[in-house]
Amino acid sequence: MKITNKAVSSIEIIIYYTGYIILGMASLMLIPILTSLLLAEWSPLLDFITSMSITMLVGCSMVLLGKRTHQRSANIQWKHGFVAAALSWLLLTFLCAIPYLLSGHTNSYLDACFDVMSGFTTTGLSLTQDLDHLSVGLNMWRHILTFIGGQGMVVLALSFMAKGTSGAYKFYVGEAKDIELVPNVKGTARIIWKISLVYLIIGTLALWIDGIMIGLKPLSAFFHALFIFFSSWSTGGFAPMSNNIMYYHSLSYETVTLVIFILGSLNFGLHYAIWKGNRNELIKNIETQSFLVTSFLACVLALFGLSKLNVYPDAVSAFRRIIYNVLSAHTTTGFGSIYARQFALEWGDFGIFIMIIVMLIGGSACSTAGGFKGLRVGIVFKGLLRDVKKILSSERNMRVFKYHHIKDNILSDEIICSSSIIIICYIVLFSTGTLLGVYYGYPLASSAFESASVTGNVGLSIGVTAPTMPAFLKIYYILAMYMGRLEFLSIFTLIGYAMGGIKKLWVKS
Amino acid sequence: MGKIIKTFVLILLLIIPFSVQAYASDTTKINDLIENALSLDGKNVTIQGEAIGESFERGEYSWVNVNDGTNIIGIWMKTDDAQKITYYGNYKNKGDTLRISGIFRRSCSEHGGELDIHSDTVVITNTGSYVPEHISDIKIIAAVFLSMLSGFVVWLYLKMKK
Repeated sequence: MKITNKAVSSIEIIIYYTGYIILGMASLMLIPILTSLLLAEWSPLLDFITSMSITMLVGCSMVLLGKRTHQRSANIQWKHGFVAAALSWLLLTFLCAIPYLLSGHTNSYLDACFDVMSGFTTTGLSLTQDLDHLSVGLNMWRHILTFIGGQGMVVLALSFMAKGTSGAYKFYVGEAKDIELVPNVKGTARIIWKISLVYLIIGTLALWIDGIMIGLKPLSAFFHALFIFFSSWSTGGFAPMSNNIMYYHSLSYETVTLVIFILGSLNFGLHYAIWKGNRNELIKNIETQSFLVTSFLACVLALFGLSKLNVYPDAVSAFRRIIYNVLSAHTTTGFGSIYARQFALEWGDFGIFIMIIVMLIGGSACSTAGGFKGLRVGIVFKGLLRDVKKILSSERNMRVFKYHHIKDNILSDEIICSSSIIIICYIVLFSTGTLLGVYYGYPLASSAFESASVTGNVGLSIGVTAPTMPAFLKIYYILAMYMGRLEFLSIFTLIGYAMGGIKKLWVKS
Repeated sequence: MGKIIKTFVLILLLIIPFSVQAYASDTTKINDLIENALSLDGKNVTIQGEAIGESFERGEYSWVNVNDGTNIIGIWMKTDDAQKITYYGNYKNKGDTLRISGIFRRSCSEHGGELDIHSDTVVITNTGSYVPEHISDIKIIAAVFLSMLSGFVVWLYLKMKK
């Protein structure tokens, strides 16, 4: 093949790696294809063959267009990693929505894209119609999307790269996963997958056995277990049936999911540290401390608030309906053990306010969870304490403040500032969503609840998200889920890169 | 006398078709139960909808989820009643249509605060059925054509990698 001497352009590098990630996702469509084949679901089988072919075509074409990147081992810069990560999420949303559209279970392509972005970002809000009659193949696809989205599509692509890429870390950070478990990024990506797969086996087995015990048939119990595990571990919130976790009418099933989604909301670094025998990390880590404090406070406040309103009759009801939903919101899972409208009609403004706060805080950084993360809350809180201590102590007293997250880190102005900026970005995103909801005529509390749910990638609904909602609100929610999940930087880089390209074209013409 | 009988028969003929509609309208929609849960709590209600998924047998009683098109609710019914259901709604089947009367609970203390109905009577008004798949020729042609095209591009990609 002829290789030109011209330097590899940034566009070629971005196209090449985006295509590579798309190919990785295309190959995953083999799973629903096999599921449909085994269960003799012929229409979904054809839908997935069509979708996989289109996705492969796009992915291969992109790789071929950017082939010089591979041939000349082009140098990857930060912007390439960030733009490729953001672009691949965007393009994959359009491509992975094809099976939804072909199934006829969505009212429009926009609704299909909404559900895919909701899955990728582990949000869990759904516009898919008539879930109860959905094929197992499409249900498999919905839950795979949320599972892959939780661990990261770039992480998946990196794990299977034939050769380690020198700039792999830049792609990895672009997907808001900035932890290095081992010096090699490919190794880190593989460890993330190993951790997830170990939990997948244990969690699915536990849910399968419990499913059979609560009355599901063995084969059906297996698929329910697999889907609910995918959703719980990824803090996703999708469920195979319309009435979500209420379908099972089981305390034990709810408890197993509760354990899984709390584990899923913890940092992969923490899982790895415990796996390596460093159990003290669980107690010392700033994120677990932050999560414990905020979840305890939220649960207690919600219990007091709702007991004042006499919403639930006893302690078991309070656990199943209050604690479960608060923790589901805090871990950004979005499994709901009450109907969406019950939040609006029964929980009162106090209950809704607590839910909004925990949904915005979210789980741990570098986990499957969303929100502005316990790590940032902990850092900003410690930063505030540091400033107060500095004012109170002598000016000659030079003290270095630290926080513990996997290792001891210096609490620098830079880290406090970057954490605060991200929190501010989340609050702007949330406020804009609330404003938009109110503009379209939804009550303030409902608009704020739904906006917090999309911003924090939670998935609980108060009833705003529906196929009948305004199209612009759907588009805003898609963008909010996308920005919330990738934590802004990649998307801002993509926008900046696109604007720069437009400017160049403008100057040339 | 003949006139009276004819009039009576005519009235019956007119009433019977409308009586079917009246039969349906005395049911409450599940969404209305949720929206008015406080006022309907503890009241006897009647709903009609499709049995979906499968039943969850818990000894003498079972859970059956019913979808009326507005929402889904769990029905706590006798296992004997649940066993009479032939079809549950899923991808391949349309579930039996059930007409259920029972006590509605906004937050059932027996079932961990669940919003549910404890059934008194369960009537299968329409038996479900297997729903065959309809696959259009265009779908088959598109799948074959696109898979061949993507196969060619993958071949090009693999050639490039070498």
